[in-house]
Amino acid sequence: MARTIQILADSVANQIAAGEVVERPASVVKELVENALDARATRVEVAVDQGGRRRIRVSDDGTGMGREDALLSLDRHATSKIRTAEELRGVRSFGFRGEALPSIASVSRFTLETCARGEEVGTRIRVRGGTVLAVEDCARTPGTTVEVESLFLNAPARRKFLRSSAVETRAISEVLAPLSLAHPRVDLVLRSGERSLLEVPGTGDLVARVRALWGDEGADGLIPVEHDGEVAAVRGLVQRPDRARPGFRRVQLLVDGRPFRDAGILAAADRGYRTTIPQGTRPWIILFLEVPGGTADVNVHPTKAEVRFRVRGTVEADVEEAVRRALEREESAATLGSAPATGAMQARESAGPARRPSAGKGTESEGAGEAQIVLFGTVGATEPAPGPAEEEKGRGGASHEIDPGVADLLDGARGPRLWQVHRAWILAEVRSGLLLIDQHAAHERILFERIMERFDAGGEGGQRLLFPLTLRLTVPEVEMVQSLAGLLHRAGFEAEPFGGDTVILHSVPNPHPYFDAERAFREMIDELTHGSDLVRSARNQHERLAMSFACKAAIKAGQALDDQEIQELFDQLFATRLPWHDVHGRPTTVRLSLGELERKFGR
Amino acid sequence: MNFTITRQNLQKGLAAVSATIPGKTTLPVLSNILFEADADGIRMSATDLDVGVRIRVPADVKEAGSLTAPGKKIQEIARELPDQPVQLNSRGDQVEIRCGKSHFKLNGLPADDFPELPQVGFEGGWTAEGRDLLSLIRHTSFAVSTEESRPVLNGVLWELRDGEMRMVATNGHRLARMRIPAGPSMQTTTQLIVPPDALQQVQRLFAEDAEVSVARDGNQLGFSSGGTEVYTRLIEGTYPNYEQVIPKDNDKHAFVNRKALESAVKRVAAVASDQTHRIRMEFSQDRMVFNVLTPDLGEAHDEIEVGYDGDPISIGFNANYLLEVLRYVGTDEVKMSFKAPERAATVEPMGGEDDQVPDYLCLVMPLRLAD
Repeated sequence: MARTIQILADSVANQIAAGEVVERPASVVKELVENALDARATRVEVAVDQGGRRRIRVSDDGTGMGREDALLSLDRHATSKIRTAEELRGVRSFGFRGEALPSIASVSRFTLETCARGEEVGTRIRVRGGTVLAVEDCARTPGTTVEVESLFLNAPARRKFLRSSAVETRAISEVLAPLSLAHPRVDLVLRSGERSLLEVPGTGDLVARVRALWGDEGADGLIPVEHDGEVAAVRGLVQRPDRARPGFRRVQLLVDGRPFRDAGILAAADRGYRTTIPQGTRPWIILFLEVPGGTADVNVHPTKAEVRFRVRGTVEADVEEAVRRALEREESAATLGSAPATGAMQARESAGPARRPSAGKGTESEGAGEAQIVLFGTVGATEPAPGPAEEEKGRGGASHEIDPGVADLLDGARGPRLWQVHRAWILAEVRSGLLLIDQHAAHERILFERIMERFDAGGEGGQRLLFPLTLRLTVPEVEMVQSLAGLLHRAGFEAEPFGGDTVILHSVPNPHPYFDAERAFREMIDELTHGSDLVRSARNQHERLAMSFACKAAIKAGQALDDQEIQELFDQLFATRLPWHDVHGRPTTVRLSLGELERKFGR
Repeated sequence: MNFTITRQNLQKGLAAVSATIPGKTTLPVLSNILFEADADGIRMSATDLDVGVRIRVPADVKEAGSLTAPGKKIQEIARELPDQPVQLNSRGDQVEIRCGKSHFKLNGLPADDFPELPQVGFEGGWTAEGRDLLSLIRHTSFAVSTEESRPVLNGVLWELRDGEMRMVATNGHRLARMRIPAGPSMQTTTQLIVPPDALQQVQRLFAEDAEVSVARDGNQLGFSSGGTEVYTRLIEGTYPNYEQVIPKDNDKHAFVNRKALESAVKRVAAVASDQTHRIRMEFSQDRMVFNVLTPDLGEAHDEIEVGYDGDPISIGFNANYLLEVLRYVGTDEVKMSFKAPERAATVEPMGGEDDQVPDYLCLVMPLRLAD
């Protein structure tokens, strides 16, 4: 029988590989820019014509290649990035498979110009459909330029599936975004025909970069993330809860500087936001993960869009914790400034330095190149000096110590001056300006965390009532009371069904002197029986009850408080984990900084 | 209106009425004091619409009349006036104050704008010893509720019946009751729920040795003695049957030194949760052991000697309620009685053989011990 199985010629194999790596012009741009970045370029220019169909040109000022290297680079599995299988573990460069260049070259008219540093003469290689046409000298500054013309000239099926120029151009600018975030110190330019689509200077300032990519609106509401977890060190930016909106959002995850997509990690980041944002709200998330070599495998997919973590659970926990920690800090609180107009045009041309990096708390330096170090190195820098403020704050009966970050807010040894205004808000004078605290929202946060703690610790003792409360409820409500009896008991409510639609409360919790047990219980059971946005956002029955209880039992707006009560509320609020956000996803506190005040008064 | 008054009398009158002036009000005239001059002297009145106070002070009246003047301002002025006769003189809605070389003109409001204090006929009422009244108020009014869902509990129940005068207050978690034998003038049977603010004025304005006339007219209650009158609106509603919840069968009794108990509770309460203030007390043969365990704060353990020979019992309390009660019990020795950990406990004063021990009882509902 005749032999039917054949080894494919290299050119055919390359075309097949191109199908995996080179899907559309955007993937060519991605591969080429990654190469440029791996070559330690400080400036990368991308120019495309007709969405990259006619021409893609990527030039960099990186290390460049000598002639032999240049020729080798067009061979499959030829790479300078790794040498042995061991180096594959913990690989830091974007590429390493050695597939991209030959694949691209096999489906286009391809020109490579390169000049290694220190060499006089550069090399130009011209390839058409995988066949090397010419190797010649050329004059060039160090670096590499790759020009890809007539993409898919020999793959008409692919060519047919390309979308309109505008769509392909947008895809190209989308793939540049993560790369640009991964290398904030590299100047990145994207031109389509004569138009400049993106021009971001490599200042190293991540916030400025986000601003250049996605506009002021998003960049203004970002707060830094900074956490060394058990496995992963997590850095980056997340959106302030009060700025987060439902619908479209920007997300970027990077591990060891490599962009990737991962629903699990993203879900973990969203979990970090729990109770600080309303259900359905999707905050922007830009996170850089650093994991020890060998714990992440990026060689899962040719485009390396996925990453496998050896200890996924721990990494996710680290991410959740990192986000949560960011939300504990003062920067995460709402500010008084007017909300940015929605639908504002993205300022694509804005290339100037950011006006004010929001990451710059605790530092004055805004110098180019400094900002990222600040953002990624604040742990030591912002460690608040243990001032007398903390010792002084022990009063008022707060059972925890005041968050050192908050103690830092306070003005020296004396506590902040507090006022209750309109029986609904508390005004606090702090070092950086003013805090406006919603007394109900603040108390909700306090009660929520307290009751969750008590659930863990075995429950809250209830105050026995001298005159037990007899409540008439609806039948489903009575059923709810019965099914929740154990949990209610741990929350301090001792409820006994008394036949039919009647329930007797023998003991109730006593969270504050103005607590109306009957009303809170009724409202809570009503909410739990009939559902609400709040209880639907809860993770489990414990949290559902705790949220509902916190909301119904918290002191209401309109409740006059005396000085000591105001002080206690303030102290307890800042002894919670997330003092800046209530359980509905509203802010508890609005900041009015001195700077803002001065601006308003034109000083 | 034109009269001359000694500075002392003016100040006495101002001090009596000004505590009733509301701090914030939408009705401007309530910030003022009403002056009414007649042949017998002057009357000064102030009210916040719930509680009103009126006092008569001697003055040399040249011209009868009435006027209201800003209370706080007059008080500030009177405080610093030289010790000389003060002349007050109305000119339209203005009041002119002269004293030595000092001279003031204050803008007032017409007396007609001032809300009329209730008319209560004291002839149909009864009288109470100031001593008894003050003692009842002091021992009970602390226990009223601050929570607004059950308005009757925001007042002190004052009962006259069975030859006794009683006051009771509770917030549903603890209760205080005091009984005093009624004098012969109190053969009426009545039940009143009085706002604690009014009782506070009574406590402030009437002396121990005063004979206080009390009378009710519809929804209003009046107290009067020696030219000073306090009026208040009564709280309407039915007071819960407190007799029913006072335990009769508490069979475990502990006899405790009040000071020792108070300081032990204060000590361990420092470690108690700032929400529930829960402390645990265990009684066994002549011993009382305190235990407090608050997650993420710490724990406390203490022990005092008591007289106890019942079955051992372990019971939780809100330390604040206990401390309050102990503050008012008064005697060196107190008796605490229990039945079971979820049943009401009582605290009563104990005296020596011939001491006069007031008929006073405090009841504290326990906190359920979750663990």
